[in-house]
Amino acid sequence: MQNPSTLKKRPTFLRKLPRGRELRGYAWGMAAPFVCTLINWPLQNILGEASILMIYLLGVFLVANHFGRGASILASLLSAPLFAFYFARPIFSLAISDLENIVGLGVMIVVANLTSNLQDKARLQAELARQRESRTKALYRLSQALAETGNQENVAVVAVQHIHDQFGAMSVLLFADEQGRLVYPEAEPLPFSLRATDLADAQRAFKLAKVQQRRNGCAPFYYPLMRSQTVLAVLAISFKASSIDSDPQLSAFFDTFCSLITQTLERLYLAGQAKDATLQAETESLRNALLSAISHDLRTPLTRISGAASTLIESGSECSEEEKQDLGKVILEEAQRMSDLTSKILNMARLSSGEIILHQDWNAVEEIVGGALTRLDKNLQGRPVRTQLPGSLPLVWIDAVLLEQVLVNLIENAIKYTPPGSPIDISAELLPATVRLTVSDYGDGIPKGMEEKLFDKFYRHETETQTSGVGLGLALCRAIVEAHGGAIKATNLAGKGAAFMIDLPMREPPSLNWDKAESATA
Amino acid sequence: MSEIPPLILLIEDDPQTRRFLKSSLMHRGWRILEADNGKTGLALVHSDNPDLMILDLGLPDMDGISVMKKLRQVSDLPVLILSARSQEQNKILALDAGADDYLTKPFGTGELHARLQALLRRAKRTVSSEVFETGELKVDLVNRKVFISGNEVRVTPIEFRLLSILIRHAGLVVKHHELLKEVWGSEHINDQHYLRIYMGQLRHKLEINPARPRYLLTEVGVGYRLAVD
Repeated sequence: MQNPSTLKKRPTFLRKLPRGRELRGYAWGMAAPFVCTLINWPLQNILGEASILMIYLLGVFLVANHFGRGASILASLLSAPLFAFYFARPIFSLAISDLENIVGLGVMIVVANLTSNLQDKARLQAELARQRESRTKALYRLSQALAETGNQENVAVVAVQHIHDQFGAMSVLLFADEQGRLVYPEAEPLPFSLRATDLADAQRAFKLAKVQQRRNGCAPFYYPLMRSQTVLAVLAISFKASSIDSDPQLSAFFDTFCSLITQTLERLYLAGQAKDATLQAETESLRNALLSAISHDLRTPLTRISGAASTLIESGSECSEEEKQDLGKVILEEAQRMSDLTSKILNMARLSSGEIILHQDWNAVEEIVGGALTRLDKNLQGRPVRTQLPGSLPLVWIDAVLLEQVLVNLIENAIKYTPPGSPIDISAELLPATVRLTVSDYGDGIPKGMEEKLFDKFYRHETETQTSGVGLGLALCRAIVEAHGGAIKATNLAGKGAAFMIDLPMREPPSLNWDKAESATA
Repeated sequence: MSEIPPLILLIEDDPQTRRFLKSSLMHRGWRILEADNGKTGLALVHSDNPDLMILDLGLPDMDGISVMKKLRQVSDLPVLILSARSQEQNKILALDAGADDYLTKPFGTGELHARLQALLRRAKRTVSSEVFETGELKVDLVNRKVFISGNEVRVTPIEFRLLSILIRHAGLVVKHHELLKEVWGSEHINDQHYLRIYMGQLRHKLEINPARPRYLLTEVGVGYRLAVD
């Protein structure tokens, strides 16, 4: 884009004043000497010729100050004959006899020229400073806007918008798909999105990593946005006027603009790669954790089962009836544990693979709690369970099977981690937008700082304990509750142990047609 | 003891499961017919005319649902489904196809016997058509009166209707759809909220602790079951 030979040219925007102002400048350049003549005429007897010349010089100077070089030269060239004709002896003749006046006139022309040059330079500096400031601001705005973007589509929107604001050009940012083919953006085009793009040209820019433009002037440019060797995207842009190549500063500004966009794309690209990498690592470590947890937790009951069973077979005849019963119980309990475990693993796998579809319907909280307690009847072993479910609770829109599983897991945990015989409380309450279910116990509570970690997959209270479980129960709970658009959290209650709270979003239950419902039996 | 013990057809492909089921059932004095696939099972229904069928959902030749459909074309034989927990949806399909009840694996033999008894009772229509009693609950079906521990409990016509349907299937699961259809009519077959509300009311009248029901049990995702002793 940058062509060294064009660098020395004056920037386009400074080469000429606006046309109207230019004409006005020449008009003033023409008028000023006459005005000076009119002012000088009555004063010619009072003032010396040198002073009169000064007045002309002032006029030229003012013109130079306001309208630049061209107008001031015109003024000075016009002032000279006027002075010579009206004021310099011989009067009413263009001839000048006095050497002093000739020198004065010469000085005037030179001064006019010099001052107008200085003026021009000052104006140029000011203009450049203003331009620089506005461009810096534009870049700042762009980088601000880009910093807030989180994906390619947003970057494209920001880029197209800012390019339009700054260069008045229509543009579009093209990204490649997985096969490395550039595709049109799927998003709705903006009012200043460039629509007439040629994907073949863009593809060439993408492939060769070089700017592409067709010979005819109005076709868009295709700029590859590159990060080291990789082209991240192609910017197709169509400038209104001729190309910006003729203005190196504008061109450099455009370069900076593009590099900001490129940097952002690179940031996103790297972030994506990092995310992929962590995801991969996570899956990997998850798999390892799962394998070790499963092998431990399945092996323990298996050992006990095979131990009990082989005892029964080998020395069953020597065992008392009671011993046989005990061994049978061991087998049954351990088998039950394995069965629970496998169904948890299965559910977790199905939930995390998105395979489980919620079968939501209107359900009564009391019924779900009742279902869970019925299922856990054996495990509860006469533990007091205190339920506090207000009759005013509305029906909730949930998958009863899954939510019952959540309650079963929470109650099982309470059984597992609290002393036998200590009570378990289950309560529900109506909050402004949710129905809150709380399962609380009277155990030691949750270790400080672990309230969140509990819900991680494979988290266990202690690494190796008698209480078995893969640490999937709570992760499963969270997955299920969140699939319902709800939230689950753990906390310690003062004077109690741990409390798990499930907040389920409340929905307006359908009206019950009482008359019809009741009259159906008549 | 002149009564011939009931004949049970067991369709299950896993020989180990079959073995333990057989020994447990024979222990109760029941007669057993075995089949390790659906086709043989259906053939045995024709040839031996069993009183009851235990059907595993996962069979090698045809799935349990197809067996159910084929069976129901020719017979009203009471059927108990055995399903693994991962087959929730199939369980419901099998019930829709005409199975009478289900048991989720793994299960205890006590539970199995209770279900089989309930099925046989209903098949033989030994459920009293006048008075039903279980635990503290007593229902006079003729005079439409409900008693708990001898005290009459006032129930609305709908509540009574729900209760009587559950009594008719005492010990067995009754699907949501069946209850909705029988009580409110087939146009309300999907209005589960009706059921929730009325079952809730009924529980509050009949149960000591409605959140831990003794009689009106919830079969989550499937229906309700009236527990019997």
